[in-house]
Amino acid sequence: MQSSVKHKLLEVFSKADGDFVSGQALADSIGCSRTAVWKHIESLRQEGFELEAVRNKGYRIKSKPDKVSENELLIGLETERLGKHVVFRETVESTQKEAHKIAEEAVEGTLVIAEEQTAGRGRMTRPWHSPKYTGIWMSLILKPDLPPFKAPQFTLIAAVAVAEAIRDTAGLNPEIKWPNDLLLNGKKITGILTELQADSDRIRSIIIGIGMNVNQQTFPEELAGIATSLAIEKGEPVPRAKLVQAILKNMEVYYAEYIENGFGTIKEKWESFAVSIGRQLIARTISGTIRGKALGITEEGVLKLQDENGVIHDIYSADIEIEQ
Amino acid sequence: MKVQEIRELIKLVDQSGIEEFVFESAGSKLKMKKSTGKTTYAATPEAPASNVQHTTQAVQETPKAPAIQEAPVPEAPKSAADDSSLHKITSPMVGTFYQSQSPDKEAYVKPGSKIQSDSVVCIVEAMKLFNEIEAEVDGEIVEILVKDGQLVEYGQPLFLVKPE
Repeated sequence: MQSSVKHKLLEVFSKADGDFVSGQALADSIGCSRTAVWKHIESLRQEGFELEAVRNKGYRIKSKPDKVSENELLIGLETERLGKHVVFRETVESTQKEAHKIAEEAVEGTLVIAEEQTAGRGRMTRPWHSPKYTGIWMSLILKPDLPPFKAPQFTLIAAVAVAEAIRDTAGLNPEIKWPNDLLLNGKKITGILTELQADSDRIRSIIIGIGMNVNQQTFPEELAGIATSLAIEKGEPVPRAKLVQAILKNMEVYYAEYIENGFGTIKEKWESFAVSIGRQLIARTISGTIRGKALGITEEGVLKLQDENGVIHDIYSADIEIEQ
Repeated sequence: MKVQEIRELIKLVDQSGIEEFVFESAGSKLKMKKSTGKTTYAATPEAPASNVQHTTQAVQETPKAPAIQEAPVPEAPKSAADDSSLHKITSPMVGTFYQSQSPDKEAYVKPGSKIQSDSVVCIVEAMKLFNEIEAEVDGEIVEILVKDGQLVEYGQPLFLVKPE
């Protein structure tokens, strides 16, 4: 929806203060037909507004979508450092892109979060469906004093932090697909994309991008078979700000654990969510496809795959499919 | 590494289309190269590289151009890699080398490309962590030493640069 039309609509509803506004009054105030009003009402519903329509009375807003703005996130946040500085935007192309722009001067733990991404991206710049008010689209900036080869583990650390946040906030049990996709009932719920800015011997910043499907009620046809949301799986909406706070809290704990004691205990937690271990996987890489049984991950988080000849492959990069 | 395992590997490499094969594990390195229809192998202890704080295992197909740490094959043409005046951009971690941001995009650099110290020259990715590698030197790309999609080692030279 055009934002100017939406702003006018919301302004009218705001003035009505919970009372009904007739379709004609809405049409007059935004200068369009009643059919067009109905269309705009529908797209407000898509964005998470609960709108009641009563014959001869008109429309009223029963509830607004839950927000992930700075205020919502800071109240109840239990971290020392992560998420203490929030860069909130209604709409961005992608939070990852915004985070890149500010990473050099940003303080550690800075969170870039938006209600909507117009060009959300996944691995190899694949687009990510990220409509307004329905999901969590965020990028977290970390600045660990570590050499670059210690960085890839952060993608698995993030997967554990998000999996536990979903378990504790929504009461659902996600599975992790190597290295860091989260699934519910075999469908994708969260994608994590991590980018590194580094000199040859030290990390300048790690930008962890997390996209989570939270309160979508439907998905476009081409995604319906492979993606789901927490609300679809749980049968009711899940408060997004609470999820973000839980992710930040877990991330802070495991970040400190990794710096102090390494990957060991986090690896165990990762494996507790990784149902694909022990199963037959297809690993698609840019240079070929390997089929085999997942034996586990190494201390670095590398996937060990044993093919039918018994040869064990160390997988650093691949798209994984679990064979049915 | 057990003789039995080596035998198994030779068999697999022999049956495959792979021409050269390098396997590293816990400090030992195994290299195989097919020639005149026969498979030969040589196991050599890996020289400890300085500053390497971890050991890695990697199974990979090696490019035809000899890697820097290997003994030069006599018939191989003299590579620009032997020119010590050239700067090497090395990989800061184990991972997959990508020459462009995505397969449908142009390569960041080609031989002849002018680069500055903050120019991104490639991506090295492991476990979905994407590391945009910066040149850290001003100059011109002379040679790209690895192939798109190839697994690269910690410290492995990726590019030769003629510094300015």
